Amino acid sequence: MILVTLLLIPALAGGSIALLRNRFLIEVIHAFAALGALGVGMAAAITVWRGNTAIEGLDHLLRADALSALMVTVVTLLGAISAIYGLGYIRAEFDASHFKQARMFFSLSQVFIFTMLLAVTTDNLGVMWVAIEATTLATVFLVNLHNTQNSLEAAYKYLILSSVGIALAFIGTVLMYYAGSVGSGEIAVNWTSLHAAASRLNPQVVRLAFVFILVGYGTKAGLAPMHTWLPDAHSEAPAPISALMSGVLLNVGLYALIRFKSVVDITLGPGFSSRLLTGIGLLSLAMAAAFLLTQRNYKRMLAYSSVEHMGIICLGLGFGGYWGVFGALLHVINHALSKSLLFMLSGSILVKYRTTDIRRVRGLLRASPFTGGAFLAGILALVGLPPFGPFISEFIIFRAGIESNPWIAAIGVAMLVVVFAGMLASVNQMLYGEPPDKLAHGEALKWSIAPLAVNFVLLMALGLTLPSPVAEALKQAIAVLGD
Amino acid sequence: MVIEVFPKLVNLLASLALGTAFLLIARRDLRGQVRLFAAQSFFVSILALVIAVFSSSAELFAVGLGLALLKVFIIPAIFNRAVFRIGLQRSVAPYLGTPAALLVSGVLVATAFYVMAPITASNPLPTADAVPIAFSGVLIGAFITVIRRRALTQILGFLMLENGIFLLALLVTYGVPFIVEIGVFLDVLVAVLIMEVFIYRIKENFDSIEVGEMGRLKG
Repeated sequence: MILVTLLLIPALAGGSIALLRNRFLIEVIHAFAALGALGVGMAAAITVWRGNTAIEGLDHLLRADALSALMVTVVTLLGAISAIYGLGYIRAEFDASHFKQARMFFSLSQVFIFTMLLAVTTDNLGVMWVAIEATTLATVFLVNLHNTQNSLEAAYKYLILSSVGIALAFIGTVLMYYAGSVGSGEIAVNWTSLHAAASRLNPQVVRLAFVFILVGYGTKAGLAPMHTWLPDAHSEAPAPISALMSGVLLNVGLYALIRFKSVVDITLGPGFSSRLLTGIGLLSLAMAAAFLLTQRNYKRMLAYSSVEHMGIICLGLGFGGYWGVFGALLHVINHALSKSLLFMLSGSILVKYRTTDIRRVRGLLRASPFTGGAFLAGILALVGLPPFGPFISEFIIFRAGIESNPWIAAIGVAMLVVVFAGMLASVNQMLYGEPPDKLAHGEALKWSIAPLAVNFVLLMALGLTLPSPVAEALKQAIAVLGD
Repeated sequence: MVIEVFPKLVNLLASLALGTAFLLIARRDLRGQVRLFAAQSFFVSILALVIAVFSSSAELFAVGLGLALLKVFIIPAIFNRAVFRIGLQRSVAPYLGTPAALLVSGVLVATAFYVMAPITASNPLPTADAVPIAFSGVLIGAFITVIRRRALTQILGFLMLENGIFLLALLVTYGVPFIVEIGVFLDVLVAVLIMEVFIYRIKENFDSIEVGEMGRLKG
């Protein structure tokens, strides 16, 4: 029942916003729906973790175990933060004469949240696919919200490439469904029944299915070489949506991969998926490092950094073992917190400077000390410096890697150093120097960046200690995936 | 008698569906392309109905009828409206010429037979022999979206890919559960409506529906 409520909140909010004409009312609904979803989502997650159990709804269609609970927490928490931030950002970007765009933003944001929540709380792998495809459909107009030639190109590319990519994931799902219906004698399109029957599946079919799954959901997760749509779409979307697409939606693609990987690992042993995931992870890391060295657009820089971090998470999953997966899931949280923070701040910088060109943003620390300082701190967190969370999770991942694949781990760390140098060089150009003459002193967005404090507090908490509820939640999520 | 004819009928219909994909590669005028897509959808829906009768599945029969309604009538009507509104009849030269494209498609078909070999070998259903044909349709659909310049033709390629996947699911397991099928139909319909809007917006912004005109986002 609680899962049904969780899904109804954004669905009803999105629908009602689309019908309303009063902007103030729309903003109120938007904010309260996001906070309501956070409350219900946390209640659901805590129920799951407290009882170390799974909750179901709608006749087994919906099911949330410890891994779903983790994803629900990430989606609803960052959904709420970006919703509050979005109120201020959209006021600054779309005045009364652009009411329709503003309304479309609020309505589709809610639909977007709904599709992500459905994807992570359904037990039916077919419905999960439908929901993940729907995330693309919900966001494509948001990418094109500013309706410029660039955003149009980005949105079209995003629509076609993601749709083709995810179509391949559907083939993988069908093949898994086939393997399940032959292997167990019953129809198993549910993850739980597929997972239970995993040891009896036809290994050749499962192998083929996983390749389709990896390419398909890998496209949604922004893994190289299927990442080409990502820098365009994430940099053209309005900041609150970039924050959710980079920080949360990529993880939903990974979540689907992780679900299938757990089945495949039982059927084939961990070696098969490990090789594929470390390979694709390393390639993503290398591709991102190459583009980050010479990046001139700070939103594209953040987008490529997402490809990098998805690669790191894949490495963690590929290195495997308890700590590899632990580090990967922890890094999902850390990346979500730091990347969404930075994309929202990038929106404030864009409102202030009216450009996404790194060379034309000068003296950010002097012009907007608060935004600039937060941006610097966020970047330091993102590149993996203590005392922030990503340092810990990257450390755990590469520690696990040194034990299982020392060479790959070493190459990975070397690439992190390249990324570190490339990003800090770019950001330095933005922070220091003389601000342009006409630029007024002050913050572009004031109270709406207040919720970003939550990101900071959590990043510090995850960097200084590993809070025991978090460790326990991750432990339960890993137990769900095992056999 | 029925047992003998059924796999042959399945193979025939699947091959006809694949044939329309080959024709789309050669065809230049946009209305003809839309008709080809409708024809392919027609063959796929007939196949769904045949399998529904053979396996006496009422759900699959409903899915077949739904597919026919959606992809033989509604979606082609949406595209014909788009072709009429943008006032363009002929498509421009693709990135790859027709002979070369047909050659690559031949290679794709061979690849499909190779990749799907474990499925055909292990599958007890009488429809399993046609699985590689369906997968060929998927690959050629994806190939068309890559080599054509017009947004409309790219989208038709994508929809043929979608048809191929539906066919694949049909042949491998007699279709996926009803709720998933409904969800997929809904996604496809919404995707087509969004793509139609994009055809208009690309036309407005670039004064053509050639995707090749776009290309400012790099690096």
